[in-house]
Amino acid sequence: MFEFLFKYPPTVFLKGEYSLLAPWPAWLLGVLVLAAALLLAWTVRRRMARRAPGLAGWRPAALWLLQSLLAGLLLLLLWRPAVSVATLKPQQNIIAVLIDDSRSMALREDGRTRSEQVIAALDSGPLSELRRRFQVRLYRFGRELERIERLDQLTASAPATHIGAALEQIAAESASLPVGAILLASDGADNSGGVDLETLSEVRRRRIPVHTLGVGRERIAPDLEISDVVLPTRTLADSRLSAHVTFRQRGLSGERAQLTVKENGKILATRPITLGPEGEPQTEVVAFNAGAAGAKNLEIGVSPLAGEQNPRNNVLTRLVNVDAARRRILYMEGEPRWELKFIRRAVDEDRNLEIVSILRTTQNKLYRQGIADPKELEAGFPSRPEELFAFHGLILGTVEVSYFTPAQQELIRQFVDRRGGGLLFLGGRTALADGGYGASPLAELVPVALPARKGTFHRERAAVELTAQGRESLICRLEDDAERNVQRWKKLPALADYQETGAPKAGAVVLAEVSVGRQRWPLLAIQNYGRGRTAVFATGGSWRWQMLQDHTDQSHEMFWKQLLRWLATESPGPVRVTTPQPVVADTARVPLRVEARDRSFAPAADAVVVAHVTGPEGAGGELELVPSSAEPGVYTGEWVAPKPGDYAAEVVVRRRGEELGRDTLVFRREDGVAENFRLEQNRELLERIAEQTGGKYYRPGDLDELPGEISFSEAGITTREPRDLWDMPAMFLLLVGLRTAEWFLRRKWGIV
Amino acid sequence: MQVRLLQGVVVLLLGTALLWAWQRRGLPFLSFEEDNPAPMPPDANEKTEYYFARLRYPSVRYGGYWGFRGAWTTDYPKADRQFLQGVRRLTRIHVRSVEEVVDLDSDEIFNYPWVYAVEVGHWNLSDAQAAKLREYLLRGGFLMVDDFHGTWEWDIFMASLNRVFPDRPVVDIPDKDAIFHVLYDLDERFQVPGIIMFYTGLTYEQDGINPGWKAVYDDRGRIMIAICHNMDLGDAWEWADLPQYPERYASLAYRIGINYIIYAMTH
Repeated sequence: MFEFLFKYPPTVFLKGEYSLLAPWPAWLLGVLVLAAALLLAWTVRRRMARRAPGLAGWRPAALWLLQSLLAGLLLLLLWRPAVSVATLKPQQNIIAVLIDDSRSMALREDGRTRSEQVIAALDSGPLSELRRRFQVRLYRFGRELERIERLDQLTASAPATHIGAALEQIAAESASLPVGAILLASDGADNSGGVDLETLSEVRRRRIPVHTLGVGRERIAPDLEISDVVLPTRTLADSRLSAHVTFRQRGLSGERAQLTVKENGKILATRPITLGPEGEPQTEVVAFNAGAAGAKNLEIGVSPLAGEQNPRNNVLTRLVNVDAARRRILYMEGEPRWELKFIRRAVDEDRNLEIVSILRTTQNKLYRQGIADPKELEAGFPSRPEELFAFHGLILGTVEVSYFTPAQQELIRQFVDRRGGGLLFLGGRTALADGGYGASPLAELVPVALPARKGTFHRERAAVELTAQGRESLICRLEDDAERNVQRWKKLPALADYQETGAPKAGAVVLAEVSVGRQRWPLLAIQNYGRGRTAVFATGGSWRWQMLQDHTDQSHEMFWKQLLRWLATESPGPVRVTTPQPVVADTARVPLRVEARDRSFAPAADAVVVAHVTGPEGAGGELELVPSSAEPGVYTGEWVAPKPGDYAAEVVVRRRGEELGRDTLVFRREDGVAENFRLEQNRELLERIAEQTGGKYYRPGDLDELPGEISFSEAGITTREPRDLWDMPAMFLLLVGLRTAEWFLRRKWGIV
Repeated sequence: MQVRLLQGVVVLLLGTALLWAWQRRGLPFLSFEEDNPAPMPPDANEKTEYYFARLRYPSVRYGGYWGFRGAWTTDYPKADRQFLQGVRRLTRIHVRSVEEVVDLDSDEIFNYPWVYAVEVGHWNLSDAQAAKLREYLLRGGFLMVDDFHGTWEWDIFMASLNRVFPDRPVVDIPDKDAIFHVLYDLDERFQVPGIIMFYTGLTYEQDGINPGWKAVYDDRGRIMIAICHNMDLGDAWEWADLPQYPERYASLAYRIGINYIIYAMTH
């Protein structure tokens, strides 16, 4: 209809440039239109005064307007208006037809797979019409683009969809080929994180319009899909971990479901959850025990619900490296206290934590426990970085800050800041404010402000209360169930003593408070500091949790194990290798990042860093990492994992022949998983691609319009011809319409 | 009528004052349990980290010397307070100057992770008390027993101990055990006699000729009960200031006591 009235398809009007083909100047047209309007005004006024003197003021004006428009339009047509648009030259241009060949295209909807829907839409005429006018090249793409000759070569079996990579490749090809336009047929279920701006702007720069053909349902229900699972990539054996699981669902609001963590099919933890509003991302937390050392493949997700359209998108796999190495914590205590005994006992059976304590029994005598050999810490608290930095955590009990030399105080600061260790301040009669810490260089390491006075330590019983953050924290998790955990904390015996603290510092998190009468103080607060972390536990009296509860009760032990694991687990060795995502789905590229430090944890900038990788079926090799120009001591590289499976990269750092350290990273390449996710047609993405490149989004039923519109393109080999507009049927109808309207009004007002 | 009211008020005030003073330990003459009274120090009510907790237990025989007070009061409180002066002077432990008496009939004992029991050759724990002591020790409490001698008293001691731990052996503490090295190296140990040696001329009592440093260990190899058999450390603390009492005995008794406290606070 549009084309019947306006002679050309809408694209011509949208993309075209307008001009007047008559040889006379445009300003003359304006002058003549103005003159005609004035002349008509004078005529209308004179005639009306004579024939219909009683006619209200606005009616003659309406008649004048209709006559002026008619005159103006006739004058415009004399000037020959035209539109010119770039069109592809027939037979000289290539139309690239890119068809998604990933597994999600095999999804059957209404009796036909998505792939079959594409083939049917193309075969019903558009493809032969395109072939008649252009050279058509067919491509299929999954992770990469591949040329095919016939549509029956589509298999819908590629394990992933990377639309961006396909467009990038075709844009590169267009440098040597006259690619006039692209037709992209897909469900838009891209799993490389979308199409980046650079790719789109490259396509736009080459002025290639990308027309998109969208297939697949835009709403799949009922269905639940996991979108992300956040979990630490490393931990110590027997540590408690929490997985933050984000998902969204359609058609399942208000249903009850089970959040589960499995390892090799064995359930490690489950948690009942209630599903929230449809379409909204929902995040739930499930806690579980990491178990023994080794690389763990954990399947984390929601058990499939009745009637779910796609149960395969309910689970994501995560890899956790469970470390067997012991974390050594140095505990400096200024006087014999029950707290030392009971902290030591709490972690006594923990294979991964070792407390080495120095206790001032008398003014000049130190009693050491947990030392590796009689020489260790013989001179007392370490004065050299190599000695202190060998520990992963540090506890300062009731020991005055003046007990440490200024150099030792700086060393303690460096222990956290540079070495990345964890530092815990305990309360006590010569600790925190009463120990002079508030006015010392160590004050900035304390997560709370300290009162500027003495007498803050009180040997009075104090009840403990978890804060909102404390209820969420794994440090304070004595029960898996959040509510039962809060109740258990309420039942804990009072602390034997407490110490007044102050407001938490910016960035610090208060996990627990003590309340005495009407007053409350932060009891347990944590913060990150430099590369490490610090905490304050402003009491020396948590031993009552052990002595005042049944000997089988594990509250005291669990709390201290969890606090000390938090303190020491993340403390890196001199060499640390990481990758942003230890499970890569359907991609071979694994970026590696190594932080190399010497024994005093200064960045090792001039080291040789080599990763020895072993993989499945003998896949493996060596990769030398290159120093990062931005960060000294950081080395980066990319390992290409040729096959799916588990890989281990042992990174060895050497400097001038001496080995500085080594670290192992386990990662996994997993294929064929990504295509189970995001199965709904991503129409938004397809429309965005079309809109930003000057193309158009089509449903299979609309594809007939494509051959007519695809030729309007500025890419490839084009011509630009002016097309007359004066002879459009719409123009003729407009002229007749104006004249008829005038006649109709005159009849009505009786001034014919 | 007014006189009676006045009398009543005076009695009430006096009673309140006496009760207050007794609570603040200011009236030793009101205590019928003291074996050897000692002055009440001014800081007797200080709140500290460590308290010398003396165990009050029922005795096998109530006649004779302990008829009124029970065997647990032996040397009390002078030994306790004199020993505590030494602990204060010789260590960094925050110590209260006076003892605390605890028993196995309430849960109050769990607030005192170190307990001293004297003359346990005469103790007689009920099943409930034995169960409470077992629970106390399993939670991490430490018991030091002292001043019992010979086979006969040992058997009485063991009768109650077997109700506490029917299946845990009593063993000799090896010289290398941390309890003998935690502050003082106590490889050279000898029998510490009680004041009775001035009357008998012997350093031992009954047939307890050889001193025994014994213990009951927990499953992780930590001492729960430290047993000082055939010696009288309590007397050595009590009579440390008696010119006639040999210094070497008093010194060893102090060193053993201090080591046992520091061991209990570190293991």
